[in-house]
Amino acid sequence: MMENAWIIPLFPLLSFLFLILFGKRLKEASAYIGILFTLASLVYSLLVLFDRFSAPTYKAEGVWLTIGDVQLTAGFEVNQLNALMLVIVSLVSFLVHTYSKGYMQGDDRFPVFYAYLGLFTFAMLGLVISPNLLQTYFFWELVGLGSFLLIGFYFYKEEAKAAAKKAFIMTRIGDVGLLIGMILLFWQAGSFEYDEIFAAVEAGAISGTMITLTAILIFIGAVGKSGQFPLHTWLPDAMEGPTPVSALIHAATMVAAGVYLVAALFPLFAASETALMTVAVIGAFTAIFAASIGLVQKDIKRVLAYSTVSQLGYMMLALGSAGYVAGVFHLMTHAFFKALLFLAAGSVIHAVHTQNIEHMGGLWKKLRVTGPLFLIGTLAISGVPLFSGFFSKDEILIAAWAHGNTLLFWLAVIAAFFTAFYMFRLFFMVFTGEARTDMKNVHESPSVMTLPMVVLGVLAVVAGYVNTPWFGTFLGDWLVEDNHALGHGHIEGPVWIMIVATAVSLLGIFLAWLMYGKRSLSRDWLTSRMPLSYSVLYNKYYIDEFYSLTVVNGAKFISSFLRLLEVFLVEGLVKSVTGITSALGRLGSKFHNGQIQTYGTVAFVGLAILVVIYAFTGGYLK
Amino acid sequence: MNLAYFLSILVFSPLLGILVLSFMPRTQESLIKTVGFLATLPALVLSLIAYFQYRAGAGLEQLNEKVSWIQFGDSGQLGNLFSIDYELGLDGFSLIMIVLTAVLSTLAAIASIHIKKEWKGYFMLFLLLEVGMLGVFAAENLILFFIFFEITLIPTFFLIGKWGYYEKENAAYSFLIYNGLGSAVLLIVIMVLFARTGTANIDALMAAMNADNPQLVAPISENMKMGMLIALLIAFGVKLPIFPLHSWMVRVHVQAPPSIVMLHAGVLLKIGAFGLIRFGMGIFPEQFQSLAVWLAVLGVVNLLYGAFLAFVQTDFKMVLAYSSISHMGIVLIGLGALNEAGIQGAIFQVVSHGLIAALLFFLVGVFYERFQTSTIQNLGGLAKGMPITAGFLLAGAMASLGLPGMSGFVSEFMAFLGLFKEMPILAASGTIGIIMTAVYLLRAVLGITYGKAHRDFAGITDMKKFEFVPVLVLVGLIVLIGVYPSVLSEPLTSTLETIMLGIGG
Amino acid sequence: MSTVPVQAYLALALILFCIGLYGALTKRNTVIVLISIELMLNAVNINLVAFSKYGITPSITGQIFTLFVIAVAAAEVAVGIAILISLYRNKKSVNIDEMDAMKH
Repeated sequence: MMENAWIIPLFPLLSFLFLILFGKRLKEASAYIGILFTLASLVYSLLVLFDRFSAPTYKAEGVWLTIGDVQLTAGFEVNQLNALMLVIVSLVSFLVHTYSKGYMQGDDRFPVFYAYLGLFTFAMLGLVISPNLLQTYFFWELVGLGSFLLIGFYFYKEEAKAAAKKAFIMTRIGDVGLLIGMILLFWQAGSFEYDEIFAAVEAGAISGTMITLTAILIFIGAVGKSGQFPLHTWLPDAMEGPTPVSALIHAATMVAAGVYLVAALFPLFAASETALMTVAVIGAFTAIFAASIGLVQKDIKRVLAYSTVSQLGYMMLALGSAGYVAGVFHLMTHAFFKALLFLAAGSVIHAVHTQNIEHMGGLWKKLRVTGPLFLIGTLAISGVPLFSGFFSKDEILIAAWAHGNTLLFWLAVIAAFFTAFYMFRLFFMVFTGEARTDMKNVHESPSVMTLPMVVLGVLAVVAGYVNTPWFGTFLGDWLVEDNHALGHGHIEGPVWIMIVATAVSLLGIFLAWLMYGKRSLSRDWLTSRMPLSYSVLYNKYYIDEFYSLTVVNGAKFISSFLRLLEVFLVEGLVKSVTGITSALGRLGSKFHNGQIQTYGTVAFVGLAILVVIYAFTGGYLK
Repeated sequence: MNLAYFLSILVFSPLLGILVLSFMPRTQESLIKTVGFLATLPALVLSLIAYFQYRAGAGLEQLNEKVSWIQFGDSGQLGNLFSIDYELGLDGFSLIMIVLTAVLSTLAAIASIHIKKEWKGYFMLFLLLEVGMLGVFAAENLILFFIFFEITLIPTFFLIGKWGYYEKENAAYSFLIYNGLGSAVLLIVIMVLFARTGTANIDALMAAMNADNPQLVAPISENMKMGMLIALLIAFGVKLPIFPLHSWMVRVHVQAPPSIVMLHAGVLLKIGAFGLIRFGMGIFPEQFQSLAVWLAVLGVVNLLYGAFLAFVQTDFKMVLAYSSISHMGIVLIGLGALNEAGIQGAIFQVVSHGLIAALLFFLVGVFYERFQTSTIQNLGGLAKGMPITAGFLLAGAMASLGLPGMSGFVSEFMAFLGLFKEMPILAASGTIGIIMTAVYLLRAVLGITYGKAHRDFAGITDMKKFEFVPVLVLVGLIVLIGVYPSVLSEPLTSTLETIMLGIGG
Repeated sequence: MSTVPVQAYLALALILFCIGLYGALTKRNTVIVLISIELMLNAVNINLVAFSKYGITPSITGQIFTLFVIAVAAAEVAVGIAILISLYRNKKSVNIDEMDAMKH
């Protein structure tokens, strides 16, 4: 099966091409094309995964481009991480394809939506089976394109246009970091291949500073893609896209690509303590930073978006603390429960046609399927025991503690508290209490939308049991098998960490219940005490304003300065060139005044000059 | 491929069209356009034959032609015979350029459907321009090269000055003055080389200039070589264009009819890069090496300068004009790197930008035809009224900003790969250009296509059938090169080897 | 007899030529200009005759050439005067600075 794994990304590509060409005629039947092709990918991915359990890593490559003596290759590789990612991506993609059939019904550009989904899925699957950095970069940019197109799907909305542009440019800033790091690494290791880079690192062929530098540059790429601080601002804005897109791209798959990249290059990072520390610090900071913003947002999707940013920070913290397994594990569980939360949120939005949680309330009774599923997702992300998020978060905390990052460990614990609080704040405000606005005609979504949620709901509960300290760390052992550079499959940690984690999440839930569920605490007892911090949080620390003030205005300033240069200096040059030319012409034409005597004079003077030159040089010009 | 005079037939085949056109009444609009289009086809077919034969393993030497033309001097005395021959020949690089020229000429002839007046004169000049462009790339002799170079100048001048927009005369004159000065400088270099060595054949010159004791009529000092290289740099720098010699080109891009800009941005600008690689690098390899750093610096300056200025333009054509300047910076960066990756990147960029610029300007023509404007503000929300055009515009922008899977990425990537090896700091500052490219292109293209519709699109038809042909061909080629770059890199292998041998790399 | 040295002939020719050149370039009256041109031609004639006598290889060619020049000069003046008269009929003037038809 693995020899033909290259076919997995091709199914969605076919779907894209087919729908771009014939989508107009197919109309809403396009959905079936998209669903069928992704189903094929999913089935094949599962087969490959099962194959990989028993077989070693498979890799095949061919020459893509020759530069002098250097041959750049392209191909695919199926190792543990890749096989796992293939399944996660194709599964979520398949579920979102199915869900969208209900969600996007009636949209004019229905086939285009499916075509874009196909393009994105193709790029994402291509990304996760890339055997080298160059190919990874290739698909890395293409997933960015898919994300851009889908964020800007409602292109006639000014907000969507701005969000799409912002997403593309912000991630591109990160991509340039990745590009530089990758090229520097190439000239050091002589190859883009992961294997050869790791071999060079291990052999000590690359200096320590260079490893740190390239690792950090590559991490900048991951920061851009995974919405880590300070390049995180595009991700919440990306919620302008249709909700299934948010679930697929901006929760489960593409934004996790940054984490995937760091994981795929883990031996490089592991070789530099500074690089690891950078990853851990950025991750932990982002986790708590985004979680604090999530506490006060009012848009259901934005809360989830900040939660995504925060959770990605967790994964980075794990990887930065040498917890390879913890990071990948959380990536997997997060993909399921966050996709579930987004799809459930989409189902809510589909029912009430608003995204403002202030306007919702009391939906539990009306949405009998969505409500419980949303609750499952919320419990999972909050780290309540027995749900998947509990196990993976626990692994991360243990990794951080075991690596000696005590400060970062406590930051992560606080972030876990915040997470539990804002998620249950969301849940209580949406589903409990009384409807705050007039809600008529609220229906549960059709089964084509609820079924994918049910699948994800099941996974959000059980996915954690592949790697638990109680029943065995199957996933962890399998992931690091045959590769000592990735660290241990399971890191033993003190039991009290699990207890603390459980305690803070329950505390967060309890507080949220007091404020938004039981309402024994007034909703604004905190905000009224700290109006300043509330407005700072509500305005997302004014990061956007800061950027527009510095970076955007800076670019505009440089441009206007250069425009002045262009107008005065360069145009001046043009003017002088044309001026001199026409002045010479005018001077020449003065002699052609029709007066025979002028002509005679000119001829005579010319002759005289020639004679003088001849006399001085004594012959032809030498 | 053992046809005698294959290359001559290829180069001069458009003349047949001129001949036919000259016997036609000037009012037969559609007939003239058809003939004009058909006259570009022989060159296209022949160049494709040559390309595929070459890919199939046939040697290019058998295409060389040589006819004795002008001779003077003392043939008895060794090295004192001055001869100018009519010599045509191809290597991998010029073959690719000829294919590019032929393809773009055919597509530009299709785009010329939008021309509104005096079709007869237009197409005669158009075909003459094609002869000039094909000849420039096929010439094996500097003097022949110069003649063809001048042949491109005159038709372009009239095509801009007569069929352009409001300030066409102004644009045509600044085109002529700048390029005329550039030609004059080029002529001086050619004449000095010819007078000193007695030959104008490019291969013979390369050999003569690089052997230690050449049979020179008069020796050339190192300083003089350097001077000549700088003169070449100026001559071709005007064409490319290199900052600060670029402003004529902005005017031409804005004022010329889109079909001519397709050729101008697609091929004519590339003569500058072609000349720099062929003559600058080939004839003066040592001097070129010592100038390489400055070339790279100029490249980064071009890249950033063009990008930042494109960021504040309000007219889409201006954005594209400055974008061309910015992209030519990549060519200079690649040349400045002076290693295989860099030079190959530069050549890729030459081809890639030719295709992308042609695509974008064709699309400008498509919506200019319908709205009589190319101001970004006035076009907002185009995707609502013309979704297909808007889609292709977005595709063009993506290609231009170097999205992987399209040709722009491969060239940009290789140029930077090369420069990072030699001058990492400079290269790192150049990468700001990559970000800025995305910024200005998205600003312009999203400004046109996305957002609220600023105008009524009722009665506006999306792209017509004949408009699909050029767009699909160009997008197809761009993607082909992006996905399968060997289609370009393999024919280039031997050319690159020769160059690298020259600079001792 | 040959007491006059060749330099004297040449000096005379030079002076005559300069007077003629000055007149041809500065005088307004076209008749004077034509006369000045005659003067220059005659300066040339003197040179030719002088060298035919005192040159390195004295021969009769110089003198014969002078006769040619005189004949050509006569024809030239005839044509010149004819053009002048027809111009005068049109413009009622013989001033050379009013004649700039060559500009057009």
